[in-house]
Amino acid sequence: MRLWWLRMRVMTAKELLQLSRDPVLLIILAWFFTADIYIAGSGISMDLRHASLAVLDRDRSEASRELIQRFRPPYFEYQGELSSGRQGIRRLDRGTSMLVLEIPPHFERDLEAGRSTAVQLQVDTTNTVLGTLATGYAARIVARYGEDRVLDRLGVTDQQLAAMPRIEARQRVWYNPNQVDPWFMSISELMTVITMLSLMLPAAAAVREKERGTIEQLAVSPLTPFQILFPKVIAMTLAILAGTAVALFLILFPVFHVPLKGSLSLFFAVTALYVLAVSGLGLFIASISRNLGQVSMLVIVVLMPMLLLSGAWTPPEAMPALLRHLMVISPLYWFIELGYGILLKGAGLAVLWDSVIGLSLLGAAIFGFGVMRFRRQFG
Amino acid sequence: MPLLQITGFHKRYRRQVAVERVDLSVGRGEIFGLIGPDGAGKSSLMKAAAGVLSYEGGLIEAFGVPLDSETNAERVKDRIGFMPQGLGLNLYPDLSVEENIDFLARLREVAPADLARRKRRLLAMTRLERFRGRAMKHLSGGMKQKLGLVCTLIHQPELVILDEPTTGVDPLSRRDFWAILTDLLRDRGITALVSTAYLDEASRFHRLALLHQGQVLDQGTPEEIVSRVPGRLLSFRTSQPGEALRRLQGRYRQLDYDGHRIRVFVTATGEAAALDELRRHLGDLPVRQLEAGEPGLEDVFVALLRGRGDADREGVPRLPVNGRSHRGGEDEVLIEASGLCRDFGDFRAVDRVGFRVRRGEIFGLLGANGAGKTTVIKMLTGILRPTAGSGRVAGADMRRAAGAIRQRIGYMSQSFSLYRDLTALENIRLYGGIYGLGPGLLQERIDWVLEMAGIRGHESDRTAALPMGLRQRLALGCALVHRPQVLFLDEPTSGVDPLGRRRFWSILTHLAREQGVAILITTHYMSEAEHCDHLALMHAGRLVADKTPDALRRELQQEVGELLELQLDHPLEALERLEGQFKGVTLHGNRIHLFAPSLSAAEPVIRRLLADTGVELRSLRTRVPGMEDVFVYRMGLLEREAA
Amino acid sequence: MKASRVRAVACKEWREILRDRLFFTMAFGVPLLIMLVLGYGLSLDVKNIPFAVVDHDRSASSREYVHRFSESRYFDLVGYVAREKDLDPLLADSRIRLGLVIPDRFGERLQGDRPARVQALIDGMFPFRAQTTKGYLEAINAEANRELLVDWLARSRGMTRERAVQQVTPVRLQQRYLYNQAIESDWSMASGLMMLVLMVSPPFLTALGVVREKESGSIYNIYASTVSRGEFILGKLIPYVGVSCFNILVLWLVATQLFGAPFKGDPLFFFIASVVYVICTAGIGLLVSILVSTQVAAVLLTMVITFIPAMLYSGLLVPVESMSPDARLQAWLFPPRYYLEITWGSFLKGLGWSDLWLPVVVLAGYAAVLWSVGFLAFHKRPRR
Repeated sequence: MRLWWLRMRVMTAKELLQLSRDPVLLIILAWFFTADIYIAGSGISMDLRHASLAVLDRDRSEASRELIQRFRPPYFEYQGELSSGRQGIRRLDRGTSMLVLEIPPHFERDLEAGRSTAVQLQVDTTNTVLGTLATGYAARIVARYGEDRVLDRLGVTDQQLAAMPRIEARQRVWYNPNQVDPWFMSISELMTVITMLSLMLPAAAAVREKERGTIEQLAVSPLTPFQILFPKVIAMTLAILAGTAVALFLILFPVFHVPLKGSLSLFFAVTALYVLAVSGLGLFIASISRNLGQVSMLVIVVLMPMLLLSGAWTPPEAMPALLRHLMVISPLYWFIELGYGILLKGAGLAVLWDSVIGLSLLGAAIFGFGVMRFRRQFG
Repeated sequence: MPLLQITGFHKRYRRQVAVERVDLSVGRGEIFGLIGPDGAGKSSLMKAAAGVLSYEGGLIEAFGVPLDSETNAERVKDRIGFMPQGLGLNLYPDLSVEENIDFLARLREVAPADLARRKRRLLAMTRLERFRGRAMKHLSGGMKQKLGLVCTLIHQPELVILDEPTTGVDPLSRRDFWAILTDLLRDRGITALVSTAYLDEASRFHRLALLHQGQVLDQGTPEEIVSRVPGRLLSFRTSQPGEALRRLQGRYRQLDYDGHRIRVFVTATGEAAALDELRRHLGDLPVRQLEAGEPGLEDVFVALLRGRGDADREGVPRLPVNGRSHRGGEDEVLIEASGLCRDFGDFRAVDRVGFRVRRGEIFGLLGANGAGKTTVIKMLTGILRPTAGSGRVAGADMRRAAGAIRQRIGYMSQSFSLYRDLTALENIRLYGGIYGLGPGLLQERIDWVLEMAGIRGHESDRTAALPMGLRQRLALGCALVHRPQVLFLDEPTSGVDPLGRRRFWSILTHLAREQGVAILITTHYMSEAEHCDHLALMHAGRLVADKTPDALRRELQQEVGELLELQLDHPLEALERLEGQFKGVTLHGNRIHLFAPSLSAAEPVIRRLLADTGVELRSLRTRVPGMEDVFVYRMGLLEREAA
Repeated sequence: MKASRVRAVACKEWREILRDRLFFTMAFGVPLLIMLVLGYGLSLDVKNIPFAVVDHDRSASSREYVHRFSESRYFDLVGYVAREKDLDPLLADSRIRLGLVIPDRFGERLQGDRPARVQALIDGMFPFRAQTTKGYLEAINAEANRELLVDWLARSRGMTRERAVQQVTPVRLQQRYLYNQAIESDWSMASGLMMLVLMVSPPFLTALGVVREKESGSIYNIYASTVSRGEFILGKLIPYVGVSCFNILVLWLVATQLFGAPFKGDPLFFFIASVVYVICTAGIGLLVSILVSTQVAAVLLTMVITFIPAMLYSGLLVPVESMSPDARLQAWLFPPRYYLEITWGSFLKGLGWSDLWLPVVVLAGYAAVLWSVGFLAFHKRPRR
C-alpha cells in the first residue's frame, strides 16, 4: 500500500515536472485560460443592437414623424429616408439596411379619422433570429404607439387608466438581471476550454510516451497500466484547475464582473470530477492514435458533437427529441448545468445532486473504458 | 577541379554551432566518407552540400557552381541525388514501391522509356521486384533503405549524397547496400558522399573525414589515418586481471577488459617493441595467449578523441576492479526460454525459440531487422504475451509471475527511454520511486548510478542536453537502479560514438563479471558481438546458431576457409574476375576481401587471374574473420535457401 | 513552370489522401460532420421554454391567462407549484426557465376593472434567451391586455366589439419577411455554415499536408530536386483545393436537401465564388504550414486563426453593422464575411454577378496576397 502511494506520487510529480518544462504547452494553456476567454467574452453580443432601419415615409406628417422617432437606439439605428421602394429593396439586397419601414400616404388623416391603417415593415431575415427579434421590437413600438393614440383620442386620463382592467407583468430576470452577455459567453468558453484541454492534455502526454518509446520502459516496470495512466490524469487535472482559477480570478471576476453566487470549492470539486471523466475519453483517443497530430484531429472530431449536445448553444428543450435524449451521454451537458448552477444560480448540492451523480457515473464509465483500451495495448 | 569543394564551412542553428571551419574536397569517382557519432555535424554538412540548407560561413562548390544562394543551388540539383537521414523517412509510407519510384522519377522528369529500363535494373539489383506493389510502410528496414537508394538514383545523378544510409540496418543488408553502390560506381562512375556512424564501414571509402563535435579530427585515406596513430593493439589473458589492470591503468589510456581478455593499445612502433613494453609493465604476472594486431579505425578514432581530452570532459566512469564477488552458483540459469512462439495475425514473428542465459553471462542476440529479436525480448520482459512456449526469468515463470519478474529485471531500449525534459537526477529519482526504493536506499543507488555513469557535475542538466554517450549510460543507470539480476538491452548503442560504446561495454562486463548480472543484448555493431560470451543468430523468427564467438569463427573457417585481403591499385577491374572464382568477394575501398581455402593455394590463382588485366597486386594477406563476416556468410546462406 | 512536375506532385498527394484513412476522414468526413453538428446544434430559435406557475387565485381568469402561454409554441407548461419558494430550486436546476406568479384575487380585480399584477421570474443564465423570453412574454401579455381593453371599451363606452377592436389597434404592422419568408433558421444557418466549414477545412488539410512532409523529412525530396517552389506549392495544393471543391458540392447538397434551404441565385456564379473562397482559405493553410514545423502546432494555429473569426466575426451570428467598432474591424480584416455575403446573397436573396462582384474581387485579392506571401516565404534551402 505504501508502495502504491509512492509510485503514484513519483509518477504524478514527474508529469507535473514535464508539464512545467514544456514552454509551448504552457503558452497554449495561458492563452486559452486568459486571452481566448477574454476574446469570446467580450467579442459579440447576441441581442439586437443598432438594427439598421431606413424609412419610406409617404405621408411626411407629424404623426409619421412621431412614429419614426420611436425607433431609437440601442435597438434601432435610423438611417434616413428613402425616395423610392426600389431603393429600399436595393438596400436590403446589399445588406446595408436590415429593415425598411413604409408609412402609407394619408397615415395621419386615417388616424385622426379613427380609421384603421397599416404600416409595412420589410425585414431581412437572412439572420432569422435577429430578424424576428427586430420584428418583435418593431411590433411593440407600433402597438405602443397605437395604444397611446387611442387613449389620447378617447381622452383617457391617468386616473381612469388605473381603473381599467390591465395585467401588468412585472418581470424579474434572475441570475443575470441585466443580461450581461459576457457572463454567459465567458463561462461557456471557460467550459469549452476545460473540455478541450481535458481531452487533449492527458492524450498528448500518453501519446508522447508512445512516440518517444518511454512507454515500454514503464510497461516493463512493476507499474500497472492504471498507475501509468492515472497520474497523468491527476497532473493534468491539477493543471486545468490551476488554469480555471487563473481564468476566474484574472478574467471572469475582475474583467467581466461575473458574480459568484455559489460555493467556489463545490465548483472546483465538480470541475475536477468533470476533467477526470473527460480525460478518460482523451486516453481512449491516445490509445488509437500514433502521434500528436492524430490526437489533435480526433479531439476535434470528438469535441464537436460534445459541444452540440452540451446545451451551450441550444437549450435541451429546443432540441429535437432524439438529440435531447442523447445529451445525457455528453459530459459537457452535465458540466454546464452544474457550472452555471453553481456560479450564477448559487445552487448547492441539495439541488444539483442528480447532475453530480450523472456526471460521476458517466465519468467512471468513460474513464474505465479509456484505461481498458490502453491496458489492452500494453497489458 | 574536384567535384565537390568545401572551404571554411560554418553552420549555426540560432546560437548553437553545428559545424565550424570544415574543409573537404571530393574528387570525381570517389566514395568519400563522413564518419562520426550523432551530433557531429554530418547531416548539416551533407544537407548544405545537397543545396537544401543555407549556411553562415565558408563556401561549398559543386560542379564548379558556388552553392551560395537558392538560385545557384537549383542549377546543380539535377546532377545531385540526396538521401536524408532516417530509414525510409523520405519515402511515402502509403505509396507502393513502384509509386514511390515513379513519383521521384517524374519529379526529375525522367523519360518514360528510361524510367522503365532503370527501374527494371535497379529493382533487380536490390531484389525488390517481387515487392513492386507493396506499400512502403510494410517493407522491412533493409528494404526501405534499398528503396530509398533506388529513388535517389533514378535520375542518374553524378553525385549522390547519402546521409547515414546504413544506420539501424543489419550487417547483411548493409553489405548488400555497399555491393549495390559498388556496382553503380563501376557502371556509371558515380561520385558519392556517404556518412556513417559505423566505423567498421570505414574501409569501404576511398577517403574519409572523421567528424566530432562539428570539427574534422582527421581526413585522408583509411590507411593514412590509421598510420597517423602508430601503435599496436595487444591482447592477452591472465589469471589475475585485477592486478594486471591496476598495473597498466596509469600508463595506457586505451585499456579494456571484456571478462576474458585484456586489450591495450600500445603506442610503440613495431610489434616487438610493443610486446616488450607491455611485458615490462606487467612484470611477473602470468600471461597467456598474448597477441598483437593492427589497430582498426575505431582504435584510431578513440585515440584521437582521447588525445583531445574529450574523454575527461565527459567524465570517465571508474569502476572497482577486483575478483568475482557475486554470490550464488555460477551455473544458475537466469533466463530460460523454451519453444517461444508469437504470431501476429497469420504471420509468425517468433518460431520455437529456446536458449539459456546463466548468471554473469553476456548473451548476444543477432539478426536482421525484423528477425524477431525485439519480439523475443518483449515476451521475456512481459510486454507481449507469447502465443506458445514458456520462459523463466530470474527464477519466476514468465506467464504466471509477470509482476515478480518486473521487479527483478532491468530493461533498456533503442530509444534510451529517458524523459528528455527531466534532469539526470530527476530521471534516476523517478525510476527509483517506480521501483519503490526507500529514501535511504534511493540515495545510495543515486550515488552509485552517478558514479557508474560518470554524470557527476551533470546531475541537474536536462537529459536532452547531455551528450549521447552520457545519456546512454544514464539510461543504463536508470534500468539498474533497483539492482536487477537480469538486464535486457535492445540495441543500446546505436548512434553512440566509439568512445562512448567502449565505456558502455566496460560497464556491462563489470556488471556481468563482478555482480553476476545476466545480460541479454541485441546489437548491429559486430565489433560489439565479439565481447559477448555467447551468440545466438536469429533468422525469420528462428534461432539458427547458438555458440561462443570463437566457435562461430572456427565454424566459418572450416566451411569456407581463410579470409584474404588483397590490396590493389584498380580494384574495380579485378572485382568481376575474382567473383567468378572465389566466395564472398567484397570491395572495401582499394581492397578486396574474399574467402579461400588457404593463402598458399589461393595466391597463384589470384595472380594468374590478375595477370592479364594489368591490375597490380600490392599486398595479399590473411585476416582473422570478424563477427560481421560470420554473420553475413550465415545469413546469406539462409536468405538464399529461403529464396 | 512545368505541367508534368505539377502533375507528379498532385498525383502523389492525391494518392496519399486516398490511402491514409485518417487523412481521408479529415478531408471528407470532418467537413460534413461540422456541417451536420452545427446545423442541428446551433439552432438559435427559442421555443418550448419550460415554465411553471404559482396560481394563488385559481380563477377562470388566471387559468385563461396561463392558457395563453401554454398554448403558444414558445412556452411549455411544466406544472403548477404551491408556493413561490418552490420555483427557486426548479429555476436553479434549469428545469424551468420561467416562473409565473399569479396573485390572489387576480380575476376579481380584472373583473372589477382594476389592474392586476403578475410576476414573471425569468432565468437570465443565457442572456439572449432571457431577452427573447421577455419579448414573448410581453407580446402575450399585450395581447391579453388588448382583449381586456376591447371588453372594457365595449362595456364602458357602449361600442360594438368590432368597433372596439378597430379603436384599440389604429395602426397595424404588416410584416414582410424578405429572403427567408418562413423564418426557418435552418435555412440561414445551413447556408451560413458553408462559410464556416470552408473557412476551416481547406486550411486544415493544406497545413497538415505540407507540415506532414516537413515532419517526416520527405520534404527533402522536394528540396533536393529540380522542382521549383511554385510547381511544388501548386501541385501540393491542387488536390486539397480539389477536395474542397468536391466538398462545396456536398455541403451545398446538405444545405439544400437535408436542411431544406432554398437556392435562389445563380449556381455557376456561386460555384465560381466558392472556388475563389476555397483557394483563398487554402492560402491561409499554406501560410500556417510555412510558419510551423509540427502537425500539432499546425492544428492549433489553424484552429485559432480560422474557427473563431469565422464563428464570431463573419456576421453569421451578429450582423457586422451591429458589432462594436473593434469587432467590426476584425470582420473587415478576415475573408469569411465577404463569402457570407455571397452565400446568403446567392441562397436567400437570389443575387448574382451584378450585385456580388465586389466581394468576389476582394476574396480573389486575398487569395492573391496569401499565395504570393506563401510562395515568397517558402524556401528550398531553409535555415534549419
